Amino acid sequence: MSAGRDRVEATLDRLVDASVLERLQISLAALVFAIIVGAVLVFVSGLIVDCPDPFLSLPGVGGACYNPFEVYWTMITGSFGSLTALGRTLQETTLLLFTGLSVAVAFRAGLFNIGTQGQMILGALGAALTALWLGELVPESLLGALIVIPAGVVVGAVIGGLWGMLPGLMKAYADAHEVITTIMLNFIAMGIAFWLVQNHVGNLESDSVLTHTIPDVAQLSPTIGGTRFSLWALLAALAAAIGIYVLYDRTILGYELRTSGLQEAAAEYGGVNAKRNIVTSMTLSGALGGIAGSIYVLMVQYRWQDGIPPLGFDGIAVSILAGNNPIGVIPAAVLFGAMQSGSVALNLTLGVPPELVEVLRGLIILFIAMPEFFRMIGKRYGYGSDPLATDGGENV
Amino acid sequence: MNRPTVTRRQGLAIGAILFGLLLVGFVIDGGRALLGDVAGVISASYFAAVFRFTVPIAFAAMGGIFAEKTGVINIGLEGLLIIGAFSAVAALWGLSATPVGANIWVAFLLAVLASTLVALLFATVCIDFKADQIIAGLAIWLIALGFAPFASIIIWDRTNSPSVGTFPVWEVPVLADLPTVGPLFSATLPVFLLVLAVPFSWYLLNRTTFGKWVEASGEDPKSLDTAGVDVRRIRYAGVLLSGVYCGIGGAGLALNTGQFVGSGDTMVDGRGWIGLTAYLIGNYNPIGAFLASFLFAALDALQLQLQQIAGFEVSSTLVGIIPYVAVVIVLTFVGRTRMPSAAGEHYESDE
Amino acid sequence: MGESTDPGDPERHAPATRDVAARNGGAPAVRLEGVTKRFPGVVANDDVDFSVDRGTIHALIGENGAGKTTLMNVLYGLYEPTEGTIRIGGEPMSFEDPGDAMDAGIGMIHQHFMLVDTMTVAENVVLGNEPTRFGGLLTDERTAVEETRRLAERYGFDIDPTERIEEISVGEQQRVEILKTLYRGAEILILDEPTAVLTPQEVDALYEILTELIDQGKTIIFITHKLGEALHAADEISVLRDGKLVGTVPAAEATREDLARMMVGKDVLLEIEKPAADRGSTVLQVSDMVVDDDRGIPAVEGVSFDVHAGEIFGIAGVDGNGQSELIEAITGLRSPESGTVAFEGADMTDLPRRKRIEAGMAYVAEDRQKRSLVMAYDLRRNGVLGCQRLPTFGEGLWIDWDRIDGYVDTVIEEYDVRPPDPGATAHSLSGGNQQKFIVGREFERDPSLVIAAQPTRGVDIGSIEFIHERLLELRSDGKATLLVSSKLDEVTQLSDRLGVIHDGQLVAVVRPEDVTDEDLGLLMAGERPTGLDVESARVRTEP
Repeated sequence: MSAGRDRVEATLDRLVDASVLERLQISLAALVFAIIVGAVLVFVSGLIVDCPDPFLSLPGVGGACYNPFEVYWTMITGSFGSLTALGRTLQETTLLLFTGLSVAVAFRAGLFNIGTQGQMILGALGAALTALWLGELVPESLLGALIVIPAGVVVGAVIGGLWGMLPGLMKAYADAHEVITTIMLNFIAMGIAFWLVQNHVGNLESDSVLTHTIPDVAQLSPTIGGTRFSLWALLAALAAAIGIYVLYDRTILGYELRTSGLQEAAAEYGGVNAKRNIVTSMTLSGALGGIAGSIYVLMVQYRWQDGIPPLGFDGIAVSILAGNNPIGVIPAAVLFGAMQSGSVALNLTLGVPPELVEVLRGLIILFIAMPEFFRMIGKRYGYGSDPLATDGGENV
Repeated sequence: MNRPTVTRRQGLAIGAILFGLLLVGFVIDGGRALLGDVAGVISASYFAAVFRFTVPIAFAAMGGIFAEKTGVINIGLEGLLIIGAFSAVAALWGLSATPVGANIWVAFLLAVLASTLVALLFATVCIDFKADQIIAGLAIWLIALGFAPFASIIIWDRTNSPSVGTFPVWEVPVLADLPTVGPLFSATLPVFLLVLAVPFSWYLLNRTTFGKWVEASGEDPKSLDTAGVDVRRIRYAGVLLSGVYCGIGGAGLALNTGQFVGSGDTMVDGRGWIGLTAYLIGNYNPIGAFLASFLFAALDALQLQLQQIAGFEVSSTLVGIIPYVAVVIVLTFVGRTRMPSAAGEHYESDE
Repeated sequence: MGESTDPGDPERHAPATRDVAARNGGAPAVRLEGVTKRFPGVVANDDVDFSVDRGTIHALIGENGAGKTTLMNVLYGLYEPTEGTIRIGGEPMSFEDPGDAMDAGIGMIHQHFMLVDTMTVAENVVLGNEPTRFGGLLTDERTAVEETRRLAERYGFDIDPTERIEEISVGEQQRVEILKTLYRGAEILILDEPTAVLTPQEVDALYEILTELIDQGKTIIFITHKLGEALHAADEISVLRDGKLVGTVPAAEATREDLARMMVGKDVLLEIEKPAADRGSTVLQVSDMVVDDDRGIPAVEGVSFDVHAGEIFGIAGVDGNGQSELIEAITGLRSPESGTVAFEGADMTDLPRRKRIEAGMAYVAEDRQKRSLVMAYDLRRNGVLGCQRLPTFGEGLWIDWDRIDGYVDTVIEEYDVRPPDPGATAHSLSGGNQQKFIVGREFERDPSLVIAAQPTRGVDIGSIEFIHERLLELRSDGKATLLVSSKLDEVTQLSDRLGVIHDGQLVAVVRPEDVTDEDLGLLMAGERPTGLDVESARVRTEP
C-alpha cells in the first residue's frame, strides 16, 4: 500500500469524523425525545383544561382538548406557513444566531458564557442610546442610516464586549469561575440597565421602564411580509457564523484561543499568552451578545424596554444543540426561531400557552446534556460500538 | 510573564470600579439621607420579616451545599424553588381552597415531594447518565421557569394563581409576649424549620459519619469508593437533600404569601441564585450560608420598609443587585472559596 | 477487626532473620491457581499461578501492560477472574467486590493515594468504618484518633493523627495508606508501585516499615518495574510478561540481568553505551539565576552553568529543590528575579516563550498532562502545540493543517506512537506513548537546544530505553541537552557533566564517572562528601 493512499484514507476518515456524526445523532435524538415529552405534557394539559369540543373523549378521565399532532403542526405552519410567519421566524433566527454564536465562541474555547443575556441587555441599551442621539444628527436618508445603524451595532458590540471582558479578566487573573461570575453579571447588568432607564436615560414620563423610540432613520426596515425582519441582519449573522468557523478552524489565533481556554498551562507551554486569550475569547463572546442586543433594538423593538426576551439563554440551547459548532449554530437557530415563532400561532389558534416552548427548550438542553443516556439506549438496541474514544478534540 | 502581584492589582481595580458604580448609584438617588431612616426602620418586627425573607434563600443555599459537597454542582436551585412554590400552591388549591385547615400541611409535604422528585431526575441525569452538571442544572432551571407559568395558565387560566391561604402563625409561649423582642417569636412553620435546619445541617456535615462521606465524595470519590462506601448513593443523597431543602424553601415562600406568581421570573425571582451566592460567600458552611442569606434578606426587607415607612426612594433595583455584586467581589478578591475538588466531575467505579 | 487493632504485645513475632522456610508453617498466605482474566479482545492475565508465603515480601515485576495491576485487582476483588481460583490461607475465596477482599484480610495501597486531602489522618484511616457514638448518630472522633495513634505506634510510624493530609509529606501519606489497610485488619498488603513517588530517603524508610510489618506476621506483595528494588526488598520475585507468569525466583539467587531478560523476553542493555562527547560551542549559558516560586519565596538562589553543543548536562536532585522553577525560568514560563539566560551568545532573559521556541529551544516538560499536551485535543492538534507560529506550519494568520498532518504522521511513525492514529485524543494514549509523541514533536523540529525535565517519569521500560536512545542521538548530532531528572541512574548514565541541585543551589558540578552514587546521594541531601572536588567539571570554555 502506498503512502499516498494512506494519506487519502486518513483524510477520508477525518471527513467522516465520528465525533461530528455522533454529536449530530445525539442532537437529533434529544430533539425527538423533547418532542415526545412535550407531546405528553400537552396531552395531559389538555385533560386539565376545559373546552367545548375535545378532540378525544376518555371515559372516566374527561375530554382531551389538545391534540399533540395538531399542536406541532400548528407550530410548523405558524413558523413557515405564511410570509408573516416566515418573517417572524427569520427575525428570531437572526437574533438567535448572534446569541448562539456568542455562547458557542466561548464554549469552543473551553469557557462557559452564561452571561450572553446580560451582555445583550447592555448592548441593546448602548445601541438604543446611540441611535437616539445620533439619529437626531444625521440626515433622514440612506446615508444617515448607513451611519447610525452601524454605529449602533458597534456601540452595542463594544459594550457587550466590555461586559464579557469582565468575567474573562476575573477568570484569567483571579481564578473566579466564569459560570458563577457570568450568571451574577447577568443580574447586575439587568439591574444597572433597568435603573439607568428608569431614573436617568429613559422616557421618564412613561409608567413603564423604557427609552424613547429611536428615529426612523435608525430602524432596520422590514423586508419580508411586513414583520420586523431585515435580510441584511440575517446575512450579517450568517457571515459571522462562517467567520467564526474560519477563525477557529483555520487561523493560528483561533487555535491559540481554544488552547488557552481548554488548558491554560499547556497554552503557556506553547508560547501563548493564555490569560490574555481567555480575556479575548470572553470579549469576543460578549461582543456577539452585544450585537444581538443592538439588532434587537434596531430591528425589532425600536427602543430599550424592560422585559427583553431571554434570547441569551436561548443562545445556550442553540449552541449546545449545535454541538458548539459555529456552522451547526445556523440550523439550530432556525429550529429555535421556528419554535419561538410557532408558539405565537399556538397561543392564538389553539390557546396553548406559549411557555410550552420554554419547556421544550429546557428539555432539549437536558437531553443533550446526557449523551450517556442515548449511548445506553443505542447499546440496548444494538447500534454500534461506543464511539466515545474518537472525540477528535471537539469536545469541551 | 504574568506576575501574581500585577494580577491582584488588576483584579482589585475591577472590583473597585464595580463597587464605585454601586456607590455612585446610591448617592445619585439620595443615599446620604439614608442612614437616619435606616435606624428608624429596624425593630423586632423588621427582623421577623427578615427571617421570612431568609427562608427560601437559606434553604436553597443549604441544599446547594449538600449537593455540591458530594460533588454534584446543583445550579438548578432556582428551578427547584420554583417547583416547590408552584406545587405548594397548586396542591393547596387542588385540595380545595377553603377551609385551609390541615390541607396546608399536606400541600407543604406534596411541594417538598415534587421538588425532591425533580431533584431525583437531576441526580439521575447527572450521576447515572453523566450529564454535564452545569448544563443539566441550567436545563432544570429553564424547564421550571417555563413549566410553572405554563401549568398556571392550564390550571388557573393565567400566570398568577388565586389566593389559596397561608400558614398559620405560631407563637412561642411566653417569649412571644415579651416587650420589644416579642414579634420575633411569632412566626410560621418555615421560619421555625429554618432555625432548626441551620444547626442540623452543620451538625450533619461536621459531626456525623454521613458528613465525612459527603466530604470525601466531593473531594476524592475514589478514596471513598475504595473504603467500601458507594459514592453513587452518597451523591444521590446529597442531591435529594437539596431537593428537600429547596422544596421547603419554595413552599415556604409561596405559602407565606398564599399565592403563586408566575409572571416574569416567577415569584422566586432569583432567590435560588442568591442562595448560590450565599453559600459561596459562606464558603460551604451552613452557618456562613445562613448569615449571608440573612444579610441579603435584611437588605431586601430594609429597602421595602424604607419605601413604605419612610416614603423614601431607594432604588430597589440597586439594592437587589447587591448580593450579586458581593459574590463577584468575593470571588475576585477575597480569593477562591474552597470548592470541593471533585465537584462537577463524574465518578465511575471500576466495576 | 482482627489482630491488627489488638493492642497486645507488638513484639510477638520478631525473628532476627528473614528465614522464609522457618515461617512457612501452614498453607501459603495467598495462592493463585490458573487465574485468567479476559477483557473484550484482551487477555490481561493468562493462567497465572503463584503463591506467597506468610510473613514474606513478594515482588511482582513486569513492564507496563504486562498485567501486574490487573492481577492485583483480581486479588483485591475489583475484577472477578474469568477462570481460576484464589486461595487465602488455603481457603478458596470468591470476591464480589473489594469489601469481600478486605474482609478476607487483603489491603491495597494504590499508586495514587486514596486519601481525602482536606480530612485529617485519623479521619482518612477510619473512613468507611468510622467508630460512632450514640448508636451511629455521631462520629467518635476521639476513638478514631486514639486507634490511629495506637496502630502507628505499634508499627513504629511517626505520624500525627490530627494533621490534615494536605499538610503532610508524600512519604507520610503513604504511611497513612498503610495504616488504613491495617485498621481494616489487613494481613496481606498489596503495594502498587510504592516507591514511584518517594525520595531516596523515603524509600529507605518504606523498606524499614515493610520489614517491621513482616516481622509482625504480615504478608506483603509489591508491584514494581524497578529491578533494583525488587532485588533489595523482596524475598521472592515473580515476573509477568504479556499476562503470563514467566517465573518466580528467590531474590537472593536472581541478578538484574536475569530479571530484565525475563521481563522483556530478550537481552536488555542496562548500561547505556555512550560514545565520547564531541563538545562544541556554548549553547546555553545560565548565570546567577534567582527564581521565586508561586508563593514568592526564592526557589533558585544563584545558579550558574552552561551547556555545550554535543553534550548532555544533567541536573540531579530530590524533587522540589528548585528544578521546576529553574527550568521554567530558562524556558520562559517564569520570570527570574535576577540573573541571565543566554542562548548561542545572545541574551534572552526577557524574551517571551514564543521567541525562545522560534530560536530553536525544544522542551519536554515535567508534567506532560498539564503542560506538554492538551488532553482534549487529538494528536494532530497536539502536534502543533508550540510550533503554531513557526513558518513551517502556517502563513500569516493561517494555520496549514496539511503540513501539520505530514509532520504528525512522521512523528507517530518515527517515534513509534501507539495507536498510530493522529485522530486519537491525548487522553486515550498511555503515559509512555504520550511521552514518545512529545519527544518526537520537540525533537523532530531540529532544535539546537533540548530541555528535558523528568523525561521518563511514569513511562514504561520499553519507552524509557527508546527515549534514552533518542537523547543520545541528539547528542551525537551535536545538539545541546539539559536533562533534569530525579532518577539517579538516568542522569549518571546519560550526562557528560552533572550538576547536583540542593535547596535552590547547584552544590556540585562533576563528571558522573568521577563520583559514586553514595557521594551523589550525600550531595543531593545537602551534605558535602569528603575528598570530592565538587567543582571538578565546572569548566567554562570562554570564547
